[in-house]
Amino acid sequence: MREKLTNPEDVRTWPGTIPVEYVYTAGVAGEAYLRAIKERGCLAASTCPDCNIDYLPPRLYCERCFAKTDEPRDVAARGVVETFTVAHRDLDGRPLEPPVIYAFVRIAGTAGGLIHRLGDVEPGDVHIGLEVEAVFRPPAERVGSILDIEHFKPVG
Amino acid sequence: MGKVAVVGAGMTKFVRRAQETGRELAWQAARMALDSAGMTLKDVDAVVIGSAPDAFDGVHMKGEYLADGSGGWRKPTMRNFVGGATGVFAPIQGWYHIASGQFDTVLVVCEEKMSSCHPHPQGAFLTIFDHTTERPLGPNLLWIFAIEMNRYMTVHGITKEEIALVAVKNKRNAMDHPCAQLGEELTVEDVLNSEIMAWPVNRLDVSPASDGAAAVVMCAEHVAKRVTDKPVWVEGVGWHLDTAYWTNRDLYYPRYVEYAARMAYDMAGIKEPRKEINIVEPYDPFDYKELHHLEGLLLCERGEAPRLTADGVTQRDGDLPVCPSGGLLGVGNPIAAAGLMKVCEIFWQLRGEAGKRQVPGTPKRGLAQAWGDLMQVGAVIILGR
Repeated sequence: MREKLTNPEDVRTWPGTIPVEYVYTAGVAGEAYLRAIKERGCLAASTCPDCNIDYLPPRLYCERCFAKTDEPRDVAARGVVETFTVAHRDLDGRPLEPPVIYAFVRIAGTAGGLIHRLGDVEPGDVHIGLEVEAVFRPPAERVGSILDIEHFKPVG
Repeated sequence: MGKVAVVGAGMTKFVRRAQETGRELAWQAARMALDSAGMTLKDVDAVVIGSAPDAFDGVHMKGEYLADGSGGWRKPTMRNFVGGATGVFAPIQGWYHIASGQFDTVLVVCEEKMSSCHPHPQGAFLTIFDHTTERPLGPNLLWIFAIEMNRYMTVHGITKEEIALVAVKNKRNAMDHPCAQLGEELTVEDVLNSEIMAWPVNRLDVSPASDGAAAVVMCAEHVAKRVTDKPVWVEGVGWHLDTAYWTNRDLYYPRYVEYAARMAYDMAGIKEPRKEINIVEPYDPFDYKELHHLEGLLLCERGEAPRLTADGVTQRDGDLPVCPSGGLLGVGNPIAAAGLMKVCEIFWQLRGEAGKRQVPGTPKRGLAQAWGDLMQVGAVIILGR
């Protein structure tokens, strides 16, 4: 084994998998979030009654003081690009054509936001501070997922 | 080293599938523990999180994921994982955070959401075994522990009827636990007639897969004396690890439990555990494990635990109540949370706050134990008032 291996197949190996699958629940706050997206085409935020901080996505509790947050309220899916990237390779290193724009969008009127794709815009035209809004899939096609939002696009 | 007390405890219901996320479950238990101590998150200096394999919840780096629900926001926070022993090791970690003098108040939170793993968490257990020597056989915990149970039964001449009494007792005790998943009035025949999973293990010999969380608040002596007139002190802690090669051990006796117990007894100054421990919460994911562990904890001779059970000594009103909570068999088994549930139970019993589960008399000292990994890790904590 001290000699340098140039071909990985020279070490005897066998393929293996870790065969687990999952079913997830959205949680109490997550359920409210996904219902807002699916049923009303908007986002949702919850507020800590003590710290007066808005959480988006909504949370059941305030992480700062442990108070139970207020019931989630609907929030328009519109905000500002706080930062972004343009991905040219996928998970396995293969070329992405066309490249995909991922942005963190700070949602107006809240302290929170979300990461999503940008669309209807060329990478060269995106900049930090760009105002964007969500493009939702048609109501009949929504399943209660963050991907019920196709992407965010520039406002106007 | 400084003295350390438990001053609050909390837990969620244990259920087969919770709507709450793991972090929401953690918050419910942690908030309940703080409320019971009359404390808030501001009083907490550091957080300890215990959670078993990431593969259960299906979230990698589960400690970080659970941190905000466990009170870890902008605090020194760490997660430990020693398999099934995690739930008793977590408060041991809380203890040394405080005993070292580094922190005054520590929130200890354990969580498991096993329903995420589909179709059953046994799929996640497959890959804890060696990929060369064992995995090709498709091991699951049921037949691995059936092998251990058979060895234990055969060495001592123990019958399945004697072992089934443990399941009957614990599931009955769990009927008095408001958080229990599987409290039930059963007979030995019910256990023996339940479906054979891997002989000699039948379905009712085994604890369920569960979702849930539990938490305790621990603090230094000067804080404990300020916040409560009923502190429950950590008198002893012990933990021990055996080899992962279970092939080179005799499975009839859990030596790693004995060594963990001896460490805890030495620290607590206990010379005769059978006389000096009043209540016990040994780890009981299978009914025979309660017996196996009572022997490893030196609370009876090897092979003698079934007789204690048959004689009623381990009933809630017996001379040595064992699993008055209902144990994993009755309350449920969200791995790490189940271990900490046992510590919560000792806390409530010693404070006289166990409600319908309260053992008679005024127990002064209790022991909780959990075991994990490849029949390999023992963790023991002794609490007293």
